[in-house]
Amino acid sequence: MSHRSDTVHLPCGQMRGQGLGNQGTHTQPVEVMLHVKGTLEKHMVQLVAMRQQQDLVPEEQRRHQATGEQEALLDSLMYQLVNLLQSGAAGGLGLQPSCPSLDVRGVVGGGQRAQSSRWPDQPVHQRNDPEATFVSQHLSNRGIDISALFQASFQDYKLYQGDKYDEDKNTLGFINLGISENKLCLDLMTERLSQSDMNVIEDVLLQYPDWSGQPFLREEVARFLTYYCKAPARLDPENVVVLNGCCSVFSTLAMVLCDPGEAFLTPTPFYGGFAFSSHLYSKVELILVHLDSESTAAHPRLFQLTVDKLEQALLEATLTGKKVRGLILINPQNPLGDVYSRDSLKEYLEFAKRYSLHVIIDEIYMLSVFDESITFHSILSMESLPDPNRTHVIWGTSKDFGISGFRFGVLYTQNKKVASAVSSFGYLHGVSGIAQYKLYRLLRDREWIDRVYLPTYRSRLQRAHRYITKKLKALGISFLNRGSGLYVWINLKACLLRLWLSSVLRPSLLHRRFLDNKLILSRGKTYMCKEPGWFRVVFADKPLRLKQAMHRFYQVLETQKLELRVKQPESAQCE
Amino acid sequence: MFTLPQEESRAPAPCPSPASTQDLDSNYGDGLERERSRKPDWKLPELCDSTTMLSPDSSYLSSRGRVIKWFWDSAEEGYRTYHMDEYDEDKNPSGIINLGTSENKLCFDLLSRRLSQSDMLRVEPSLLQYPDWRGHPFLREEVARFLSFYCKSPAPLKPENVVVLNGCASLFSALATVLCEVGEAFLIPAPYYGAITQHVYLYGNVRLVCVYLDSEVTGLDTRPFQLTVEKLETALQRANSEGVKVKGLILINPHNPLGDIYSPGELRDYLEFAKRHELHVMVDEVYMLSVFEKSAAYRSVLSLEGLPDPQRTHVMWATSKDFGMSGLRFGTLYTENRDVATAVASLCRYHGLSGLVQYQMAQLLRDRDWINQVYLPENHARLKAAHSYVAGELRALGIPFLSRGAGFFIWVDLRKFLPEATFKEETLLWRRFLDNKVLLSCGKTFECKEPGWFRLVFSDKAHRLCLGKREEQHVKERTCPRNKQE
Repeated sequence: MSHRSDTVHLPCGQMRGQGLGNQGTHTQPVEVMLHVKGTLEKHMVQLVAMRQQQDLVPEEQRRHQATGEQEALLDSLMYQLVNLLQSGAAGGLGLQPSCPSLDVRGVVGGGQRAQSSRWPDQPVHQRNDPEATFVSQHLSNRGIDISALFQASFQDYKLYQGDKYDEDKNTLGFINLGISENKLCLDLMTERLSQSDMNVIEDVLLQYPDWSGQPFLREEVARFLTYYCKAPARLDPENVVVLNGCCSVFSTLAMVLCDPGEAFLTPTPFYGGFAFSSHLYSKVELILVHLDSESTAAHPRLFQLTVDKLEQALLEATLTGKKVRGLILINPQNPLGDVYSRDSLKEYLEFAKRYSLHVIIDEIYMLSVFDESITFHSILSMESLPDPNRTHVIWGTSKDFGISGFRFGVLYTQNKKVASAVSSFGYLHGVSGIAQYKLYRLLRDREWIDRVYLPTYRSRLQRAHRYITKKLKALGISFLNRGSGLYVWINLKACLLRLWLSSVLRPSLLHRRFLDNKLILSRGKTYMCKEPGWFRVVFADKPLRLKQAMHRFYQVLETQKLELRVKQPESAQCE
Repeated sequence: MFTLPQEESRAPAPCPSPASTQDLDSNYGDGLERERSRKPDWKLPELCDSTTMLSPDSSYLSSRGRVIKWFWDSAEEGYRTYHMDEYDEDKNPSGIINLGTSENKLCFDLLSRRLSQSDMLRVEPSLLQYPDWRGHPFLREEVARFLSFYCKSPAPLKPENVVVLNGCASLFSALATVLCEVGEAFLIPAPYYGAITQHVYLYGNVRLVCVYLDSEVTGLDTRPFQLTVEKLETALQRANSEGVKVKGLILINPHNPLGDIYSPGELRDYLEFAKRHELHVMVDEVYMLSVFEKSAAYRSVLSLEGLPDPQRTHVMWATSKDFGMSGLRFGTLYTENRDVATAVASLCRYHGLSGLVQYQMAQLLRDRDWINQVYLPENHARLKAAHSYVAGELRALGIPFLSRGAGFFIWVDLRKFLPEATFKEETLLWRRFLDNKVLLSCGKTFECKEPGWFRLVFSDKAHRLCLGKREEQHVKERTCPRNKQE
């Protein structure tokens, strides 16, 4: 089954529809409460029934759907309720403002001030605020969309920026295991970047550059990729375009490969940043290819991408009149941590070729494979690509070198037209000459990379991964054990069910509980995961911090357990 | 009017660039023919036949991708020719001298010394991690202090009104996107820095409506190419009557390419005009510290007491020009409108600047001693010397020009060298300069409505300028007789 991205990543039109549709500030809070109560009761009955009949497979799907509908209704009711509470109409009800602020629709329009310090105290909904009207006066509709989407997507991030955990200075700050940032080797990077060879100022670095990147850097990138991707022949610097980050690369590719309204196929769960990018500037849609979170006889591996699924999603999209222009792959996968085998890759590429689809393949985690038994195959290592003119590779230093603040992303494509069209955005996504020089020095220092950086980085990744998986196992939480990337994909469905039974409404509530405990995790929804309950936990952080984070994680689950006095159900390990 | 010959769609010049986008929307998206006839004023002629543009070998690209690429190929030709054959006094003395790109190459020695000092070399983990997308707080504070001081703001400017991006191009792009819907427009007095056309178009699909200015001084005007409220009103009315929704006005002050400086009175008039029509005003002040003539009395819009419409006034500045670092990619927005700041910041993920560079910028901007006592005096003296030299040469050649003591360029009137007053002839002349290894920018690039004006950048080392002049003279010597023959 395929859904368009916007059913998940709500663009503003829909947000407004759902959010503003309920401008029921005149409704008496009591009425809403009664309605909530009624719906809740039904919902719980439904859930109990569902649990009892979990084995009856045919029933399940229908029930899931029904539950989903109820949830949507509950959402909107809760939302109204929160509005009422905040507008003061329900002054003495003594209810805690609840979850919706974490939801996209909580921040439509004037939401930009909705989070500065501790968000539970912040107004969620500012529609009655004169400032909210202001917004529509000064911004274009897409400007409002962009603001709202950004606020929604980066709420946690903003919280975190304002109140970062520090083992000395701010022990009560947020620990962010939500954002995929590699903090394991900041010591090595800081040291390397402080060396004197990094600090060269030449006039070319201060002048307008070649917009596809300084030639010296593009040459180095080509050499670097030739080596680390094990390319059969030397890669050509002319095929390299350098921009300020992989999001920029993706955004420009979406611009030059698709017209507005056209689409890319995307297997989900899938890195949400691309949905953001494609919606923001280029208005390209994502056709989601939902992968199964349960194993079957044919596909024992969870979330296995198969050509069948791609075919089916493409067919469905085409039937609904969508023009699909390409397929996006992430390898190693984010958030699953999967590494595609050479054969699978080949199949996906062949599939794309059959339908003249572009393939954008994001290999940004290519050096972050820490399980030695796994071999990563870059697409650039293939002897012959099925459709080289439609194959575009993205890489950057943000993850593999843990320097996301550097803003550096690379496109490698043999298609000169695509490279040149992407270069025309160089003005808007340019990298500072000084930073280009430093990157050039970094990438060419093969000895340091091979002897110092990579071995240390990988052993630290292994250690952190071992630690976190041990903890998860001890807590009886199932997860995917994959061996690449900076994160584990964990399943908290069991916890969610318990939460639901305690009359709490949404998966976001669990997320919220973590936040209250100053722990940021990212929800499956961010990755457009069909099934609620999955979270991505980033473990590429210092051991001490990770320990602290897991402690907070444990606390949340414990509190939950105590509150509910529900016996922890036996949990099955995924693998 | 300049028309692109079909078979030459890759060839001609930086000249066609700005104008061409004006019509790009006709090839945009699905409606290839849709809008072509509607806006008679916004054309670059027949862009070129769509069949050329949509040639099958381009089928990898989307239609907007094809437009973008075509646009790029044609616009950047001069620039790229230059990059393939750059002049170098030692290595390539017969290479192309670039007097076309507005870059200040006079103070590289000062800058490289300053940027190499040990305070610049700091590397901290927080600089390597994901930043606050508006810019690191320490930098925004420094920018606010810097602008308060150099713009002489009546009250201290606030760091929360600052957004940092990788250059003013990105800023134009982001503002166009968050202030306008697709197809809406900004007013801009022409001639103007042509790249803005591209910046607002690429992502934003916003166009520019030109307020054409004349070289002839008429009516109440006191100088050539003078911008008046009357001209703004007329242009706005016409756009409205053609169904074009105008959302804002772009002002460049000090002006590129004219070198004009708006007086506080003029500025206020323009701002009042904008307020009357609820237009946003984007004031590009990227040359604000490059006013080398003391008498010029430049005033930043941020120095005005009581802006007419502060919520719709957005100021841009960058280090590209004033600090001669166009390759550094640092630009900043100052706006009191929090919604606009937030919306622009939402796009900063795509227009971010390396943390290490942000740190360096903060160090640079806070070094008031160096700026005031070393850099600015020296920079202004060198600019002035280079300007006097070029102005003297032009006078000796009997070439009229405009220049008002700001910026890196002189707006040169070469109309008398054109056998016919057409943009085709202008391009031919531009080409002849290029053949003689001098890259200039022609008036068409700036959407000047009179053919024959050129922008000549003088902020280069003296010997390059000498060479440049010599080549220029060759060209003219060869052009003049031909002019007489006809």
